[in-house]
Amino acid sequence: MSDLPYAADAEAPLSTEELNVLRKQYEHESEKTNGDVTTQTKFNYAWGLIKSRRSTDQQFGLKLLSEIYNDIPERRRECLYYLALGNFKLGEYTKAKLYNDKLIENEPRNLQAQSLKDLIEKKLKSEGLMGMIITSGIVAVGALIVGSYFKNSSKK
Amino acid sequence: MAGIDGYEATLKILLIGNSNVGKSSLLLRFTDDSFLPQDDIAATIGVDFKVQDMLFEGKKYKLTIWDTAGHERFRTLTSSYYRGAQGVILVYDVSNRETFDQLENWFDELRTYCRNKDVVKMIVGNKVDKEEQRVISRREAEAYARKSHTLFLECSAKTRYGVKEAFEELVKKIIETPSLWQKRPSPSNNIDLTRPKDDGKQDDGCNC
Repeated sequence: MSDLPYAADAEAPLSTEELNVLRKQYEHESEKTNGDVTTQTKFNYAWGLIKSRRSTDQQFGLKLLSEIYNDIPERRRECLYYLALGNFKLGEYTKAKLYNDKLIENEPRNLQAQSLKDLIEKKLKSEGLMGMIITSGIVAVGALIVGSYFKNSSKK
Repeated sequence: MAGIDGYEATLKILLIGNSNVGKSSLLLRFTDDSFLPQDDIAATIGVDFKVQDMLFEGKKYKLTIWDTAGHERFRTLTSSYYRGAQGVILVYDVSNRETFDQLENWFDELRTYCRNKDVVKMIVGNKVDKEEQRVISRREAEAYARKSHTLFLECSAKTRYGVKEAFEELVKKIIETPSLWQKRPSPSNNIDLTRPKDDGKQDDGCNC
């Protein structure tokens, strides 16, 4: 936990009952108003979804956050932060970086965003490294195949 | 006896209070010994989290400190962080009467979401460096803290005054209350967001 301090929030899911409270509020308002849910209700539910362990929840959370981001300019900073966190959890590190960088662009000294940036970059780096290992592995296997082909054909 | 990770216990501490009273600044001073002017520090989004080791009587404790956003729009969210807390620091700004008056609301919230009667509470008056703008006297705050059965300290995240002492005193009190940290709370004892705020009845179980 201590090496990933700032993702601790996103990694701690709500209980099923807690998430249900937020979902019911969202659905209740949605029914009553024909889809015109208050921003607060939508945001609360999105936050609960992002914290969930299920990727379908996380994805729906991201969808709700994108809607709030587009509709309510004064809510953009928290949307950017949770869009970054949600994508981070889904393993979409490039997207996470995009949202988080946008937040840092607006708030260069936001310490929460700075810490998330470190986390994302660490992941991107290790992914890049894995990519390199896999690529070089493929090249090595390829070279063996090609090599054995020539070896076989030269025998003919 | 210390666990295999070398820690005697992991303690959860929560910072609550109105926005702009300096909760994040207190935390930053405590964990990083640094300070940013208010204009430079961004309002906390939802919740921030830091880990800090503390030595107490030769034993090592791991403090996980949750710094909640004071802004109203995060109120529903922050209520879920009370779960499992052993210590809660209620922060106000000595130069802002409203932040002191609203401590009562924060106590209400604390009673609603954190039903463990043993949880250690501490009121902290921040920004004592602004002595000339002070509107809450130490005596007034002390009287309120006594009435509320909480610890009380004044401090300044800007000058360092009292910050370390606040966390140390809180941790000391938690350690002196073994029921808080020596048995693990049952995972089924989750907080209930549906629970009405006016329901003041105390449960015997440890929900906090």
